[in-house]
Amino acid sequence: MKLTKNQIDELYKFTRKHYVYHYDVQSELVDHLANDIEKIWEQTPNLSFEDAKNNSFKKFGVFGFMNVIEAKQKQMNKRYKHIMWRFFKEWFTLPKVTTTIVLFLSIFFFLKIQFSEYILLGTLFIFLIFDVINQFKNRKIQKEKKGKTEKVFLLEAMIGNTKGGFTGITALNFFNFVNLSHINFSALEIHWSIIVSLTATLLCILFYVIHYIIPQKAEELLIETYPEYKLVNNL
Amino acid sequence: MSNQKLYKGSLQTIILKLLATNHKMYGYEITQKVKELTKGELQITEGALYPALHKLEADGLLDIEVVKVENRLRKYYKLTEIGTKETTDKLEEMQQFLKTMQHLVNPKFSLE
Repeated sequence: MKLTKNQIDELYKFTRKHYVYHYDVQSELVDHLANDIEKIWEQTPNLSFEDAKNNSFKKFGVFGFMNVIEAKQKQMNKRYKHIMWRFFKEWFTLPKVTTTIVLFLSIFFFLKIQFSEYILLGTLFIFLIFDVINQFKNRKIQKEKKGKTEKVFLLEAMIGNTKGGFTGITALNFFNFVNLSHINFSALEIHWSIIVSLTATLLCILFYVIHYIIPQKAEELLIETYPEYKLVNNL
Repeated sequence: MSNQKLYKGSLQTIILKLLATNHKMYGYEITQKVKELTKGELQITEGALYPALHKLEADGLLDIEVVKVENRLRKYYKLTEIGTKETTDKLEEMQQFLKTMQHLVNPKFSLE
Protein backbone atom coordinates (compact mmCIF):
# COMPACT_ATOMS: atom_id res chain seq x y z
CA MET A 1 0.00 0.00 0.00
CA LYS A 2 1.34 3.43 -0.95
CA LEU A 3 0.94 6.66 0.96
CA THR A 4 -1.45 9.28 -0.38
CA LYS A 5 -0.62 12.93 -0.99
CA ASN A 6 -2.57 13.85 2.16
CA GLN A 7 -0.63 11.41 4.26
CA ILE A 8 2.63 12.85 2.96
CA ASP A 9 1.40 16.31 3.97
CA GLU A 10 0.54 14.85 7.37
CA LEU A 11 4.13 13.65 7.70
CA TYR A 12 5.45 17.13 6.88
CA LYS A 13 3.24 18.53 9.64
CA PHE A 14 4.47 15.78 11.95
CA THR A 15 8.12 16.70 11.43
CA ARG A 16 7.30 20.37 12.03
CA LYS A 17 5.58 19.40 15.26
CA HIS A 18 8.81 17.70 16.27
CA TYR A 19 10.90 20.83 15.81
CA VAL A 20 12.10 20.28 12.26
CA TYR A 21 11.43 23.69 10.73
CA HIS A 22 13.34 23.60 7.48
CA TYR A 23 12.04 22.09 4.30
CA ASP A 24 15.25 20.36 3.21
CA VAL A 25 15.55 18.50 6.52
CA GLN A 26 11.81 17.76 6.60
CA SER A 27 11.82 16.27 3.11
CA GLU A 28 14.47 13.70 3.87
CA LEU A 29 12.74 12.64 7.07
CA VAL A 30 9.34 12.49 5.37
CA ASP A 31 10.69 10.17 2.69
CA HIS A 32 12.28 8.00 5.36
CA LEU A 33 9.09 7.74 7.44
CA ALA A 34 7.03 7.12 4.31
CA ASN A 35 9.28 4.26 3.20
CA ASP A 36 9.17 2.76 6.65
CA ILE A 37 5.40 3.06 6.96
CA GLU A 38 4.97 1.34 3.59
CA LYS A 39 7.28 -1.43 4.79
CA ILE A 40 5.33 -1.77 8.04
CA TRP A 41 2.10 -2.03 6.03
CA GLU A 42 3.57 -4.88 3.99
CA GLN A 43 3.84 -6.88 7.20
CA THR A 44 0.75 -5.62 9.01
CA PRO A 45 -1.63 -4.23 6.40
CA ASN A 46 -4.38 -3.50 8.93
CA LEU A 47 -2.38 -1.07 11.04
CA SER A 48 -3.69 2.49 10.88
CA PHE A 49 -1.58 5.29 9.38
CA GLU A 50 -1.28 6.94 12.81
CA ASP A 51 0.03 3.78 14.49
CA ALA A 52 2.41 2.96 11.67
CA LYS A 53 3.75 6.52 11.80
CA ASN A 54 4.30 6.37 15.55
CA ASN A 55 6.01 2.98 15.30
CA SER A 56 8.32 4.37 12.70
CA PHE A 57 9.09 7.51 14.69
CA LYS A 58 9.99 5.42 17.75
CA LYS A 59 12.93 4.00 15.82
CA PHE A 60 14.58 7.41 15.96
CA GLY A 61 15.07 6.90 19.68
CA VAL A 62 14.28 9.07 22.69
CA PHE A 63 15.72 12.22 21.16
CA GLY A 64 13.52 11.94 18.09
CA PHE A 65 14.78 14.05 15.24
CA MET A 66 17.14 16.07 17.44
CA ASN A 67 20.33 14.30 16.36
CA VAL A 68 19.41 14.75 12.74
CA ILE A 69 18.68 18.46 13.16
CA GLU A 70 21.92 19.02 15.01
CA ALA A 71 24.04 17.25 12.42
CA LYS A 72 22.33 19.12 9.61
CA GLN A 73 22.92 22.45 11.35
CA LYS A 74 26.60 21.64 11.73
CA GLN A 75 26.89 20.66 8.09
CA MET A 76 25.18 23.86 6.97
CA ASN A 77 27.34 26.03 9.23
CA LYS A 78 30.34 24.60 7.50
CA ARG A 79 28.82 25.31 4.12
CA TYR A 80 27.91 28.87 5.10
CA LYS A 81 31.44 29.57 6.27
CA HIS A 82 32.72 28.17 3.02
CA ILE A 83 30.45 30.52 1.04
CA MET A 84 31.46 33.47 3.23
CA TRP A 85 35.13 32.76 2.64
CA ARG A 86 34.56 32.45 -1.12
CA PHE A 87 33.17 36.00 -1.34
CA PHE A 88 35.52 37.40 1.29
CA LYS A 89 38.59 36.24 -0.66
CA GLU A 90 37.47 38.23 -3.70
CA TRP A 91 38.35 41.45 -1.85
CA PHE A 92 42.00 40.51 -1.90
CA THR A 93 42.28 39.92 -5.62
CA LEU A 94 42.20 42.46 -8.43
CA PRO A 95 40.21 44.60 -9.04
CA LYS A 96 38.49 44.62 -5.63
CA VAL A 97 41.74 44.72 -3.69
CA THR A 98 42.06 48.41 -4.63
CA THR A 99 38.85 49.13 -2.70
CA THR A 100 40.26 47.17 0.23
CA ILE A 101 43.45 49.22 0.19
CA VAL A 102 41.57 52.51 -0.09
CA LEU A 103 39.33 51.44 2.78
CA PHE A 104 42.32 50.50 4.91
CA LEU A 105 44.11 53.80 4.23
CA SER A 106 40.94 55.81 4.88
CA ILE A 107 40.44 54.14 8.24
CA PHE A 108 44.13 54.51 9.05
CA PHE A 109 44.17 58.27 8.36
CA PHE A 110 40.74 58.76 9.82
CA LEU A 111 41.96 57.38 13.16
CA LYS A 112 44.63 60.07 13.22
CA ILE A 113 42.01 62.80 13.40
CA GLN A 114 41.43 64.09 16.89
CA PHE A 115 38.28 62.74 18.55
CA SER A 116 38.06 60.08 15.86
CA GLU A 117 36.60 57.67 18.43
CA TYR A 118 33.44 59.77 18.63
CA ILE A 119 33.03 59.77 14.88
CA LEU A 120 33.63 56.02 14.98
CA LEU A 121 30.96 55.59 17.62
CA GLY A 122 28.57 57.66 15.53
CA THR A 123 29.27 55.55 12.45
CA LEU A 124 28.78 52.32 14.36
CA PHE A 125 25.54 53.66 15.78
CA ILE A 126 24.19 54.57 12.35
CA PHE A 127 25.20 51.14 11.10
CA LEU A 128 23.39 49.51 14.01
CA ILE A 129 20.18 51.39 13.22
CA PHE A 130 20.38 50.29 9.59
CA ASP A 131 20.97 46.74 10.68
CA VAL A 132 17.97 46.72 12.99
CA ILE A 133 15.77 48.04 10.15
CA ASN A 134 17.22 45.43 7.82
CA GLN A 135 16.66 42.62 10.28
CA PHE A 136 13.11 43.74 10.83
CA LYS A 137 12.39 43.76 7.10
CA ASN A 138 13.98 40.34 6.68
CA ARG A 139 12.02 38.81 9.52
CA LYS A 140 8.82 40.11 7.95
CA ILE A 141 9.66 38.62 4.57
CA GLN A 142 10.58 35.28 6.15
CA LYS A 143 7.43 35.29 8.21
CA GLU A 144 5.23 36.02 5.21
CA LYS A 145 6.96 33.29 3.28
CA LYS A 146 6.54 30.88 6.14
CA GLY A 147 2.86 31.66 6.36
CA LYS A 148 2.32 31.14 2.67
CA THR A 149 4.35 28.12 1.66
CA GLU A 150 6.01 26.88 4.83
CA LYS A 151 8.96 25.85 2.72
CA VAL A 152 11.96 27.63 4.17
CA PHE A 153 15.30 25.95 3.54
CA LEU A 154 17.90 25.87 6.29
CA LEU A 155 20.52 27.76 4.33
CA GLU A 156 17.88 30.30 3.32
CA ALA A 157 17.12 30.99 6.98
CA MET A 158 20.82 31.31 7.72
CA ILE A 159 21.37 33.82 4.93
CA GLY A 160 18.32 35.83 6.00
CA ASN A 161 18.44 35.70 9.78
CA THR A 162 21.29 34.13 11.69
CA LYS A 163 24.04 35.12 9.23
CA GLY A 164 26.52 32.72 10.79
CA GLY A 165 26.45 34.75 14.00
CA PHE A 166 27.69 38.01 12.48
CA THR A 167 24.59 40.10 13.06
CA GLY A 168 24.12 43.59 14.47
CA ILE A 169 24.83 42.16 17.90
CA THR A 170 28.46 41.81 16.89
CA ALA A 171 28.47 45.48 15.87
CA LEU A 172 26.86 46.34 19.19
CA ASN A 173 29.72 44.58 20.95
CA PHE A 174 32.24 46.68 19.05
CA PHE A 175 30.23 49.78 19.89
CA ASN A 176 30.43 48.89 23.58
CA PHE A 177 34.09 48.02 23.34
CA VAL A 178 35.03 51.36 21.78
CA ASN A 179 32.70 53.20 24.11
CA LEU A 180 33.94 51.62 27.32
CA SER A 181 37.63 51.28 26.55
CA HIS A 182 38.14 55.06 26.16
CA ILE A 183 40.94 54.53 23.67
CA ASN A 184 42.31 57.68 22.18
CA PHE A 185 42.86 56.44 18.64
CA SER A 186 44.65 59.53 17.42
CA ALA A 187 47.37 59.04 20.05
CA LEU A 188 48.05 55.39 19.24
CA GLU A 189 51.49 54.24 18.19
CA ILE A 190 51.88 53.47 14.50
CA HIS A 191 51.87 49.67 14.80
CA TRP A 192 48.71 49.76 16.90
CA SER A 193 47.10 52.07 14.37
CA ILE A 194 47.90 49.58 11.62
CA ILE A 195 46.49 46.66 13.60
CA VAL A 196 43.31 48.55 14.47
CA SER A 197 42.83 49.76 10.88
CA LEU A 198 43.46 46.32 9.45
CA THR A 199 41.00 44.68 11.84
CA ALA A 200 38.41 47.34 11.07
CA THR A 201 38.93 46.86 7.32
CA LEU A 202 38.51 43.10 7.55
CA LEU A 203 35.39 43.49 9.67
CA CYS A 204 33.87 46.00 7.25
CA ILE A 205 34.38 43.60 4.37
CA LEU A 206 33.00 40.69 6.35
CA PHE A 207 29.86 42.64 7.26
CA TYR A 208 29.42 43.78 3.70
CA VAL A 209 29.74 40.23 2.38
CA ILE A 210 27.32 38.80 4.93
CA HIS A 211 24.75 41.56 4.84
CA TYR A 212 24.71 42.52 1.17
CA ILE A 213 26.56 40.17 -1.17
CA ILE A 214 25.36 36.82 0.14
CA PRO A 215 21.68 37.85 0.46
CA GLN A 216 21.85 39.26 -3.09
CA LYS A 217 23.13 35.94 -4.39
CA ALA A 218 20.80 33.91 -2.18
CA GLU A 219 18.83 32.29 -4.97
CA GLU A 220 21.94 31.27 -6.89
CA LEU A 221 23.48 29.81 -3.73
CA LEU A 222 20.31 27.95 -2.82
CA ILE A 223 20.05 26.39 -6.27
CA GLU A 224 23.68 25.34 -5.99
CA THR A 225 23.14 23.81 -2.54
CA TYR A 226 19.77 22.20 -3.06
CA PRO A 227 19.10 20.26 -6.23
CA GLU A 228 15.41 20.29 -5.24
CA TYR A 229 15.18 24.07 -4.82
CA LYS A 230 14.06 24.69 -8.39
CA LEU A 231 11.68 21.78 -8.30
CA VAL A 232 9.99 22.97 -5.13
CA ASN A 233 9.72 26.62 -6.11
CA ASN A 234 8.80 25.93 -9.73
CA LEU A 235 11.64 28.04 -11.05
CA MET B 1 21.02 -8.77 17.91
CA SER B 2 24.61 -8.51 19.10
CA ASN B 3 26.29 -5.54 20.72
CA GLN B 4 25.61 -2.61 18.41
CA LYS B 5 28.24 -0.53 20.15
CA LEU B 6 30.98 -2.53 18.44
CA TYR B 7 29.71 -1.44 15.05
CA LYS B 8 29.30 2.21 15.96
CA GLY B 9 32.78 3.35 15.03
CA SER B 10 32.52 1.69 11.65
CA LEU B 11 29.32 3.36 10.51
CA GLN B 12 31.02 5.78 8.11
CA THR B 13 33.08 3.01 6.54
CA ILE B 14 29.97 0.90 6.09
CA ILE B 15 28.12 3.75 4.38
CA LEU B 16 31.05 4.56 2.10
CA LYS B 17 31.51 0.93 1.13
CA LEU B 18 27.80 0.56 0.31
CA LEU B 19 27.86 3.67 -1.86
CA ALA B 20 30.96 2.45 -3.63
CA THR B 21 29.14 -0.75 -4.61
CA ASN B 22 25.71 0.70 -5.30
CA HIS B 23 26.50 4.04 -6.94
CA LYS B 24 23.66 6.00 -5.33
CA MET B 25 21.38 5.25 -2.39
CA TYR B 26 18.87 7.02 -0.15
CA GLY B 27 18.84 6.85 3.64
CA TYR B 28 16.13 4.26 4.09
CA GLU B 29 17.64 2.07 1.39
CA ILE B 30 20.94 2.05 3.30
CA THR B 31 19.30 0.84 6.53
CA GLN B 32 17.49 -1.91 4.64
CA LYS B 33 20.52 -2.96 2.67
CA VAL B 34 22.64 -3.29 5.82
CA LYS B 35 19.91 -5.32 7.49
CA GLU B 36 19.71 -7.59 4.45
CA LEU B 37 23.47 -8.06 4.04
CA THR B 38 24.04 -8.83 7.71
CA LYS B 39 20.84 -10.92 7.95
CA GLY B 40 19.51 -8.60 10.65
CA GLU B 41 22.68 -8.78 12.74
CA LEU B 42 23.36 -5.07 12.31
CA GLN B 43 20.56 -2.56 12.31
CA ILE B 44 21.61 1.00 11.69
CA THR B 45 19.42 3.28 13.73
CA GLU B 46 17.83 6.28 12.08
CA GLY B 47 19.18 8.60 14.76
CA ALA B 48 22.74 7.59 13.83
CA LEU B 49 22.47 7.17 10.07
CA TYR B 50 21.41 10.69 9.07
CA PRO B 51 23.94 12.52 11.24
CA ALA B 52 26.64 10.28 9.73
CA LEU B 53 25.42 11.02 6.21
CA HIS B 54 25.31 14.77 6.87
CA LYS B 55 28.79 14.67 8.33
CA LEU B 56 30.15 12.88 5.27
CA GLU B 57 28.37 15.38 3.05
CA ALA B 58 29.86 18.30 4.98
CA ASP B 59 33.31 16.79 4.61
CA GLY B 60 32.86 16.73 0.85
CA LEU B 61 32.84 12.94 0.59
CA LEU B 62 29.23 12.71 -0.59
CA ASP B 63 27.24 14.49 -3.21
CA ILE B 64 23.45 14.60 -3.34
CA GLU B 65 20.80 14.19 -5.96
CA VAL B 66 17.12 14.82 -5.36
CA VAL B 67 14.46 13.03 -7.38
CA LYS B 68 10.71 13.29 -7.17
CA VAL B 69 9.43 9.78 -6.51
CA GLU B 70 5.66 9.24 -6.47
CA ASN B 71 4.41 12.10 -4.34
CA ARG B 72 7.54 12.89 -2.40
CA LEU B 73 11.14 14.01 -2.76
CA ARG B 74 13.90 11.46 -2.42
CA LYS B 75 17.45 12.44 -1.57
CA TYR B 76 20.11 10.19 -3.01
CA TYR B 77 23.71 10.14 -1.83
CA LYS B 78 26.66 9.23 -4.00
CA LEU B 79 30.44 9.35 -3.61
CA THR B 80 32.42 12.33 -4.79
CA GLU B 81 35.91 11.89 -6.14
CA ILE B 82 37.40 12.56 -2.71
CA GLY B 83 34.83 10.16 -1.27
CA THR B 84 35.97 7.35 -3.56
CA LYS B 85 39.55 7.83 -2.46
CA GLU B 86 38.57 8.02 1.19
CA THR B 87 36.61 4.77 0.84
CA THR B 88 39.73 2.90 -0.26
CA ASP B 89 41.71 4.34 2.66
CA LYS B 90 39.00 3.57 5.18
CA LEU B 91 38.61 0.01 3.94
CA GLU B 92 42.33 -0.55 4.25
CA GLU B 93 42.21 0.83 7.78
CA MET B 94 39.34 -1.52 8.51
CA GLN B 95 41.25 -4.55 7.24
CA GLN B 96 44.16 -3.60 9.43
CA PHE B 97 41.86 -3.20 12.39
CA LEU B 98 40.28 -6.61 11.82
CA LYS B 99 43.70 -8.21 11.61
CA THR B 100 44.85 -6.58 14.83
CA MET B 101 41.69 -7.63 16.62
CA GLN B 102 42.16 -11.16 15.36
CA HIS B 103 45.66 -11.21 16.87
CA LEU B 104 44.40 -9.87 20.15
CA VAL B 105 41.28 -11.92 20.57
CA ASN B 106 42.38 -15.18 19.10
CA PRO B 107 46.19 -15.40 18.96
CA LYS B 108 46.20 -19.13 18.20
CA PHE B 109 44.35 -18.71 14.94
CA SER B 110 46.09 -15.59 13.80
CA LEU B 111 46.58 -15.31 10.07
CA GLU B 112 50.30 -14.80 10.19
